[in-house]
Amino acid sequence: MASSSSSSSASASKVTERRGIPGAQFVEDVQTYLTQSGLKICLLLLTIQQGLQQYKLVEMKLLAQQRDLQAKIPDIEKCLDVVATLEAKKGAGEDLIADFEVSEGIYSRARIEETDSVCLWLGANVMLEYSLEEATGLLQKNLDNAKASLEVLIADLQFLRDQVTITQVTIARVYNWDVHQRRIRQVTASTAQDSHGWDDDDDDEDDA
Amino acid sequence: MQQGGGSDTQVTWEDQQNINKFGRLNNRYHELEDEIKIAKETNDNLEDASNELILTDEEVVRFQIGEVFAHVPKDEVENRIEDMKVVTSQKLEKLEEEKTSVLAQMAELKTILYGKFKDSINLEED
Repeated sequence: MASSSSSSSASASKVTERRGIPGAQFVEDVQTYLTQSGLKICLLLLTIQQGLQQYKLVEMKLLAQQRDLQAKIPDIEKCLDVVATLEAKKGAGEDLIADFEVSEGIYSRARIEETDSVCLWLGANVMLEYSLEEATGLLQKNLDNAKASLEVLIADLQFLRDQVTITQVTIARVYNWDVHQRRIRQVTASTAQDSHGWDDDDDDEDDA
Repeated sequence: MQQGGGSDTQVTWEDQQNINKFGRLNNRYHELEDEIKIAKETNDNLEDASNELILTDEEVVRFQIGEVFAHVPKDEVENRIEDMKVVTSQKLEKLEEEKTSVLAQMAELKTILYGKFKDSINLEED
């Protein structure tokens, strides 16, 4: 049995929080934790498991955001590539001939004359004409922003996964502690049983 | 990351942090595996493309830039593909390096954690 007195500081919480994600509580000692919570073991497990579910939900949301960003970055890079090509053509003074998709599966040929500007789709039904340099600058800025948000997001995910791991370990420990307690009770019961003949039905004995 | 059989071993905050770290590394390892696979595919595709270029008689080929196929002289495409190859193989190298370092760190943590928890902890993939 975990000696409840040895670790004097009860469940010293390392709780922090990051961008609205609460930190999981690390349990130093299961016995103390259980007493403090004032819950039966099955209810305690349920509470922790609910916390885990919430973490999982947030993880799914963050993963979706990560996928979006990871798709966005190559798109911006592609745009930059096109603007760079146009710029190179401008310097060479020649037209860019390109086969482009008119509709799905139908291609036509276009001649893009030497140009100083491109139009960027800004979203919200707005398109704006930019000079090539300005377009490069804007796209580059978007790219940097996307990369920065991705980095923050990855850090968030790491924090979240740590909390998930802590919670999972806590569940396993509480569960094991319970199994261990029952085993002890069973042993003491069976040794004492011959003389008293009682059943080992303790009130807080519930299957988790 | 489950503990089996009601053991007596105390789990300290330090152990928990090690377990967290192991979890993170394991995650990164899987990400790296995927990224390496993609980088290898890109490399192979570029290799195929440059081989096709050697075989073709055409002076001007269609080269995809953004969403459109631009008509670009063969020599220029060759150069661009060579540049792309350099970039992807460098990326692949970096990923492989990171994978080696992640694996080494995981092995280190395994010795620590198995040393303390014996078979009460499982750090293997199923």
